[in-house]
Amino acid sequence: MTRRYPIGVLFSRRGPYALLGRDAFDGALTALGEINDDPSFPFELTPLTGEPDGVADRYQAIADRLIAQGARHVVGGITSWSRKEMIPAVEKGDALLWYPCPYEGYECSDRVVYLGACPNQHIVPLFAHVIPRFGKRAFLVGSNYIWGWETNRVARRLLDDNGGTVLGERYLPLGREDVDRLIAEIAETRPDFILNTLIGPSSYAFLRAMAVLAERDPAFAPERCPVVSCNLAECELDEIGPAAVGQICTAVYFDSIDTADNHAFLARVRRRLGAARRVSAFFASAYMAVRVLAEAIREAGSDRPDAILPYIPARRFASPMGDLAISGRTRHTAFAPLLATIRTGNAFEIVEKAPQAIEADPYLSDYSGTGPAAIPATGRTPQPMLRVVAT
Amino acid sequence: MNVSIGIPNFRAWTAIILHRPHDAATAISRQLERIGVASRTVWPELGAVDAEADIVFFDADHGYDGQFPWVAGAAPMPLVALLGSEAPGRVEWAIAQSADAHLLKPIGSAGVYSALVIARHAFAARNALKTEIEELRGRLRRRPMVARAVIAIMHTERIDEDAAFRRLGQMAMAARRSIEDTAEALVARHGSADDARDSA
Repeated sequence: MTRRYPIGVLFSRRGPYALLGRDAFDGALTALGEINDDPSFPFELTPLTGEPDGVADRYQAIADRLIAQGARHVVGGITSWSRKEMIPAVEKGDALLWYPCPYEGYECSDRVVYLGACPNQHIVPLFAHVIPRFGKRAFLVGSNYIWGWETNRVARRLLDDNGGTVLGERYLPLGREDVDRLIAEIAETRPDFILNTLIGPSSYAFLRAMAVLAERDPAFAPERCPVVSCNLAECELDEIGPAAVGQICTAVYFDSIDTADNHAFLARVRRRLGAARRVSAFFASAYMAVRVLAEAIREAGSDRPDAILPYIPARRFASPMGDLAISGRTRHTAFAPLLATIRTGNAFEIVEKAPQAIEADPYLSDYSGTGPAAIPATGRTPQPMLRVVAT
Repeated sequence: MNVSIGIPNFRAWTAIILHRPHDAATAISRQLERIGVASRTVWPELGAVDAEADIVFFDADHGYDGQFPWVAGAAPMPLVALLGSEAPGRVEWAIAQSADAHLLKPIGSAGVYSALVIARHAFAARNALKTEIEELRGRLRRRPMVARAVIAIMHTERIDEDAAFRRLGQMAMAARRSIEDTAEALVARHGSADDARDSA
């Protein structure tokens, strides 16, 4: 009889960030399907799912339930708020949480494996790219919770250290789409660029309104005043429409990565989910969470967290974003961050890639103001990160 | 109170964990390593070299007077108390050491970072207050001198008390010295002038 391991898959497929939740959910289930179809895995993974509807306070109870049903692993959470809610559940239930999203850092739980980027892998390389090209006067907009607050805080520091200024910092509650006042302030303060840490429909409304502003005043066109994001995904571009064209994003994965591994990955995904399927970093990281978990279970011969944990940092895991290494010290993944511009037809055109994977630095301990690891523009010699020479 | 902590960075810091070998000590050193802080565990007493550490985490459960090479409450670095028992006697002892922050045992994989940030801030704020109080006390001690200077100015310039005080303030500003220093110098000059007159 085949051994079965229940795996919790806990994403909101409804609610204010449903597009990201569904994408991550699909990523996890795609990997589950592949593992179960692959005879080299002597076991089956059974998904146990729940639907928190994007309400943070529901995550803990649902995680408790999945763990009570036998899951020793929960792949889940889009927002940091939901992750913080699930940590007590995995601590209490002797389980592990596999978190697949970019987040603001300042956490290193022994009960979490982090497969998303933290600030030294998203905002720091993003600003290193943007500041020399567009300037140092920024406007910060975000959703009103810890992701926006802390990312903007790092942004402020990066700007300060480069002699830049923050012309405004404004927040919208999750799910809200009334962006008129934000746009009016941006039109008035005329920043060099805008950092967008809004999520879901707030972000889509904001990008559409920026496109309208740019039509009225070309000074706000993305070539001159881009909206830059750390959390905009392929699955959202169709929803936003042509309004996002020209804007700049960073992620650890874009489906436009032009490697044989990624083409093979996309072909596999599209066989399962349809030829038109877009794949985002949220999908890819949730997919990799399940793959890493399954491979560790196979090596350990058990799904017990303490049994599999030693196998995780011991090797690299083949992935559509290249081989992944997960630190035994921080349980965070090293990534080579990508920077992309959104092109017509809603493709992310990758314009810059870190020459090698950057180890996660969740507490920004290595940030000294001028000298974190460089991420040079494609084809250029590496330069110290964020040392803005000329403006 | 306006508090700005920027992006706290503890790289190059050294921490001492004053605790017998125990899971609590291991958990703290693990968290410190992730934050970029080097640490060593010491028990039962801190040596002179340990006093150079940037922060000390001390066990309040089994701690006792005389473990530290400084007078209780006069630690030269921020202190974080590690409390297992919340019994008032132990909490009181932790307070007597002037703990700037505390962590409750058992220690898991969180808590040390915020304790570092809070303890560093509390320590700096406490020292800044101490310095300010010393300075204010000094100024208080020299208030009679200021009064004498004002009287002297009233006499020599034939102006009223308010005007004399303003005059003293202007003199201090011009000389970029404190009112007290200016007053002291003025009284000394005035006194010697009086002496000169008396002896003439």
